[in-house]
Amino acid sequence: MDNKDIIAAKLAEWDLHLTDSELNQLVPAYENLIRWQGTVEDMLRSRKIANGMQFPESEPIFTHTLDKKGGVK
Amino acid sequence: MTSVQELAYLPISELAGQIQKKDISPVEVVQAMLIRVDELDPTLNAFNTVFRAEALTAARQAEADIQRGEYRGPLHGVPIGIKDIYECGPTTCGSESLADYVADQDCTSVAKLKQAGAIILGKTATYEFAYGFPTTQSYFKPTHNPWSLDHDAGGSSSGTAASTAGGMAYAGMGSCTGGSIRWPAQACGIVGLKATYGRVSRAGVYPLSWSLDHTGPLTRTVTDAALMLQGCAGYDPLDPASADAPVPDFTAKLGQDIKGMRIGLLRSLYEDNCDPKLLGPYNEAVKKLEDLGAVVIDVPSITLTQMQAIEWPGLFADCATIHVNNVRNSGDKYNPHAKLFVAYGLLVSGAQYLMGAQARAQVRDDLLKALETDVDVLMLPTSGFQINTIQDKSPGLSIVSKAFSVYTPIFNFTGLPAIQVPCGFDTDGLPVGFQIAGNPFDEATICQVAHAYEQATEWHTQHPDL
Repeated sequence: MDNKDIIAAKLAEWDLHLTDSELNQLVPAYENLIRWQGTVEDMLRSRKIANGMQFPESEPIFTHTLDKKGGVK
Repeated sequence: MTSVQELAYLPISELAGQIQKKDISPVEVVQAMLIRVDELDPTLNAFNTVFRAEALTAARQAEADIQRGEYRGPLHGVPIGIKDIYECGPTTCGSESLADYVADQDCTSVAKLKQAGAIILGKTATYEFAYGFPTTQSYFKPTHNPWSLDHDAGGSSSGTAASTAGGMAYAGMGSCTGGSIRWPAQACGIVGLKATYGRVSRAGVYPLSWSLDHTGPLTRTVTDAALMLQGCAGYDPLDPASADAPVPDFTAKLGQDIKGMRIGLLRSLYEDNCDPKLLGPYNEAVKKLEDLGAVVIDVPSITLTQMQAIEWPGLFADCATIHVNNVRNSGDKYNPHAKLFVAYGLLVSGAQYLMGAQARAQVRDDLLKALETDVDVLMLPTSGFQINTIQDKSPGLSIVSKAFSVYTPIFNFTGLPAIQVPCGFDTDGLPVGFQIAGNPFDEATICQVAHAYEQATEWHTQHPDL
């Protein structure tokens, strides 16, 4: 299954059906998206605990917590 | 210059004094703006709707109120533009799919600005739903850059930027998910202020990404940006992200010197990829700030690729969530690439989305730590590439490539306040700018630094030859 087929299959799950030309335009963007997935994964900090296992050092945030901290120095 | 032009390019801070002293009437001011709109907008295409009769009615009311001694403050009687994704009368979002939609009430920030006395001159052009670049083939045509008519005005707050730079409005409201206030402000040579996440209500503004969307002003001077922010900031229970934080006087630090202030440069984001045409004026701006007494320090940060890898998958996954059903029903009425971005967002996995949100936390904490211990503000260019010419064909998915090197998203996904300030022109005569960012809810300090630079240079006094 090449990336174009993968994209078409994933979009079909959402009942979204694109033309061949549209799918072709998505292929390089999708390949870059996969590269970016690795980029972000490599950024994430964790500490080693045991047996090669890691403990994540950050939690996802959606910036909503920022305003709850608030305040000016 | 004719008197209409002189009036059109007054900063709000000066116009307000004349209105308050009754040296000029809001009616004269609105009439002057309408003359400018009639002259220039057929070329610039900055407005989707002009509220001609409503603006004149509001101006007469403002005149009567001021005559009675009921002056409301520096926005009273001042005509402004509102990006066409804010609910306020006809609200097209720059899309054929909403060409006939008329909102039955004003969104919160427009209501606040009206309460402060501002006069809504019209709805300004936007990229479709704040992300789909218009082309000459689009239902809503592109806005032309006042400095070079062949060029795009930047986006997505294109019309607000062009109308303000072109002297068709004194300021306007934009929205910003990845840079849509600061980038068009740079492209049009004006100021763009994205306040802290939660500072200005997003209620009634068509969303692009709930966790990244900000609303805020575009103006010709830093003082005017502070005045506009004063008029629209504040807690709004209708916006789940609204911050219940005190609203200070954003002009309080304007005019204070910046001697000894520590400015952190985020070099790792831009130094190896910024076009020298933009890097040159930016480096001059850094020197100017040093001349003013600031101390420049390098702050370790992320790379351009890392920033893009955090921003765009998250943004377009949210965008897809918002638009997928609309695209199923009315996809043929979207710009071709706007539809494709919805498909792109559907390709982002849940794990990738959450890892991006994890990385956001790390970057935010790193910047907050630097702001706590090492520096007072952060600085970097607004973008690493110059604005494109207006396109005839769909640009495809160009935003999600390395070449689209806007440096603005870092302050969307961290939520820190950031302001774009003009710092000259590139070798082609197109405007260049830089950003100053700071601590959450400390917009007054970033305005202080931006104002100090602005007042030490003359870029803000230059206007396009239209």
